Amino acid sequence: MTDLKLASILEGRRSQPHQLIEVLQDVQERYGYVSEEAMRGVSRELGVPLTEVYGVASFYKAFSLKPRGKNIITVCTGTACHVRGSKMILNQATGQLGVSPGEMTKDGLFTIEHVNCIGACALGPVVTENGSCHHHMNPGMMRKLIESLGDRSPEDFSHG
Amino acid sequence: MVQKVTINIDGMSIRAPKGTSVLDAALEYGICIPHLCHVPYLSDIGACRLCIVEHVVNGRAKITTSCTLLVEEGMVILSNTEKVRKLRRNIAELIVAEAPNSRAIQDIAIRCGVKEVRYPFRNNDCILCGRCVQVCTGRYGVKAIGFVGRGKDRRVETPFNLHSDLCRNCGACIDVCPMTVVPCDGPMKVGEERLCGKCEPKMAFAEETPGFCVWCDLGEGFQCERYTLGVRNQAYP
Ligand code: SF4
Ligand code: SF4
Ligand code: FES
Ligand code: FES
Repeated sequence: MTDLKLASILEGRRSQPHQLIEVLQDVQERYGYVSEEAMRGVSRELGVPLTEVYGVASFYKAFSLKPRGKNIITVCTGTACHVRGSKMILNQATGQLGVSPGEMTKDGLFTIEHVNCIGACALGPVVTENGSCHHHMNPGMMRKLIESLGDRSPEDFSHG
Repeated sequence: MVQKVTINIDGMSIRAPKGTSVLDAALEYGICIPHLCHVPYLSDIGACRLCIVEHVVNGRAKITTSCTLLVEEGMVILSNTEKVRKLRRNIAELIVAEAPNSRAIQDIAIRCGVKEVRYPFRNNDCILCGRCVQVCTGRYGVKAIGFVGRGKDRRVETPFNLHSDLCRNCGACIDVCPMTVVPCDGPMKVGEERLCGKCEPKMAFAEETPGFCVWCDLGEGFQCERYTLGVRNQAYP
């Protein structure tokens, strides 16, 4: 099953080392994360040493090496958002869900992450939730956001 | 026939084959440019920044690493100006603060004129010079280890931190690692790291003739190219 998915991603790109980042992006999109197995497969099929695949995958924030929750909440902790209290928002989220940043909740519903600036500083503090952007956030709004997402039934989710 | 170009380092005219780096050309002629991440015959990644020089273009000097700068006809390089020495000293100071527990690192700090360290000692066991990665990739072409992660999490690792099938246990990565050279007084205890400084008297001679290779004993410690190549092919006295 998984191998079929990977095979379709690699279709037409085998033995093309320069495609590495694009392939990893597709893996990230389809699986939600880049697994060890996927990296081994990519390395074999593209002819890129595993060290390099691992090095690239671990270098970019866009790739996650661990499975991620259904809801990905990203708190911006860049300078502009930081001075407007993004730390408190992050603490609210991690405290409420009982996880540390980058970790998935036990029920697999949430992953909280933080990034350094998403380029919307004027709207800060900024939080993105499954790709959509929430501006001028505060801890209270964060709590409500998580509550509303937690209430949704799992079928409502499709991310990618 | 190898094409040669003429470049000017610190006022001296030097002929060097096309395609060599400024660092190699300088060392060949006995001009001392301290360097750490450079491994002879392998491609350079410019990780340690110690080999900085001033490259003068149209009357303006640019600071850049000499190991990644290829010689070009008519190039003007200043390798030992006050500015370069100051920057170099600062870089060496940062490196020795990061990882004081190695004779090689202590030696290069002394060679670069570090007299005191103003930064807290961290006692890391890797300075991310990349010599191990270079030798694994460049000399053996196996790529069993590589750089992983970014920023403060950057480190050298095998994929997934498991033993790599590609590793041939050749030990070359360990041979070139500056962190494997034990300080003269033995490993420093945590919290007791310091700048050793014992070799400083040896440098008195070097200070009189700044910029020239004096075959400092220190070079042996941090695998100065003059030593690694000179000893091997006996081309130097
Ligand atoms: S392990 Fe040694 S050789 Fe490799 S990067 Fe670290 S200090 Fe340099
Ligand atoms: S042996 Fe010492 S003096 Fe000579 S080039 Fe190397 S570091 Fe400089
Ligand atoms: S600092 Fe948050 S968007 Fe720039
Ligand atoms: S020797 Fe040039 S940057 Fe390290």
